Amino acid sequence: MGKLEGKVAVITGGTSGMALASAKLFVEEGAYVFVTGRKQEQIDEAVKLIGRNVTGVQGDAANLEDLDRLFEIVKREKGRIDILFASAGIGEALPLGQITEQHFDKTFNLNVRGTLFTVQKALPLFNEGGSILMTGSNAAAKGFPGFGVYAASKLALRSFARTWLNELKERKIRVNLLVPGAIATPMQESVLTPEARQYFESLIPRGTMGQSEEVATVALFLASNDSSFVNGQELFVDGGMTAI
Amino acid sequence: MGKLEGKVAVITGGSSGLALETAKRFVAEGAYVFITGRRQEALDEAVKQIGRNVTGVRGDASNLDDLDRLFDTVKGEKGRIDVLFASAGKGEAAVLGEITEEHFDKEFGLIVRGTLFTAQKALPLINDGGSIIMTGSVASVKGFPGFGVYAASKAALRSFARTWLNELKGRNIRVNVLSPGQVDTPDSQRLDEATRKMFEALVPRGKMGRPEEIAAAALFLASDEASYVNGLDFAVDGGFSAI
Repeated sequence: MGKLEGKVAVITGGTSGMALASAKLFVEEGAYVFVTGRKQEQIDEAVKLIGRNVTGVQGDAANLEDLDRLFEIVKREKGRIDILFASAGIGEALPLGQITEQHFDKTFNLNVRGTLFTVQKALPLFNEGGSILMTGSNAAAKGFPGFGVYAASKLALRSFARTWLNELKERKIRVNLLVPGAIATPMQESVLTPEARQYFESLIPRGTMGQSEEVATVALFLASNDSSFVNGQELFVDGGMTAI
Repeated sequence: MGKLEGKVAVITGGSSGLALETAKRFVAEGAYVFITGRRQEALDEAVKQIGRNVTGVRGDASNLDDLDRLFDTVKGEKGRIDVLFASAGKGEAAVLGEITEEHFDKEFGLIVRGTLFTAQKALPLINDGGSIIMTGSVASVKGFPGFGVYAASKAALRSFARTWLNELKGRNIRVNVLSPGQVDTPDSQRLDEATRKMFEALVPRGKMGRPEEIAAAALFLASDEASYVNGLDFAVDGGFSAI
């Protein structure tokens, strides 16, 4: 029997990379999964890949009306949520001195504001004993040049996790942060130059990037009852990069 | 198929509490487990409870001769190790002003020195790709009065994890610390009612952890599910240290 048998999961930004790998694994473990993404084409592709027990919902996690629509669909189709994986996020680089209002607003609107309202709007549908996961970044514990705004937006989520787990303790909802390091995802492939890739690999003790599937197994752990006494954690999945 | 099918695990201090529960879970997931403990009686009882695929080796993890004997036994019976869970440790309280040399030497002798030599003596037997787990404590990131020496000894393990994972990267051996919070063990059941209540009040859900919940986290760190998880001080405390 799967670890998420009969559970309903919502995964934002679930059409590629780590979140898509998690959606696949969740379904293999018995869950029904809603995935969101901004582009219909990518949603269709993801839904096809996942194959069964999945609904794709087009929407931008920074847009509150899109979020309303998402949770209306979830409510109509399943009526409840056991697992929310708020994973939609962007990471663009600009060093101090060149930071624009637009860069700040875009990053914080999606990563912080979008994540907050994703969780808040999901809350009425949440079953007691549910699990909320947010995607952080090990950049928040490091000082990668150019990633100050991104890192700060991700660290804000840690404060949310700590506050919300306390506010939601009566409902036994756990809130954790999954904190990936350098992972070979389509998003990273598209932004990293070969030099940057080599640099990141040199920082990882084993010398090779993580795979999306290695993040998905950790997401499954945090989503399932295996982690029933794990709460408010930043679970780094970075091959030890941050620890050394 | 179990998550540790065909794996060999060594668990020190495995004859009671969290480590015993972990040993049971590891065997249920397909592993062969060596457990250690100081008292033969408790060890025999633990072996009986685990039931199969287990060898009990009597010994004190702060005694280097005992450790040699342990790993000789493991080498003779299985020849290799995939998972080392260095869990032997005991927390005694003494406030600053009343700390004796004996208290310090005992805590650091078992928790720091003992854990170090457990790992070092296991090393020649650990397979590439293996997993080392040490038992920390959330006390190491808090300031419980009386537990300064204990907390510091557990904090030292985090530094070991970070150094060793780097030193062992060529062999793909992962090193993590599992730091339990308040857990309902035979030890905690000996606490007086007021202390138990105080501990429970610190846990957001208002109830202590169950040994099975720690075992599930240890299994996660031991298995390939955590293949990209390395160097963590992983608190399993129901959110106590986060708030």
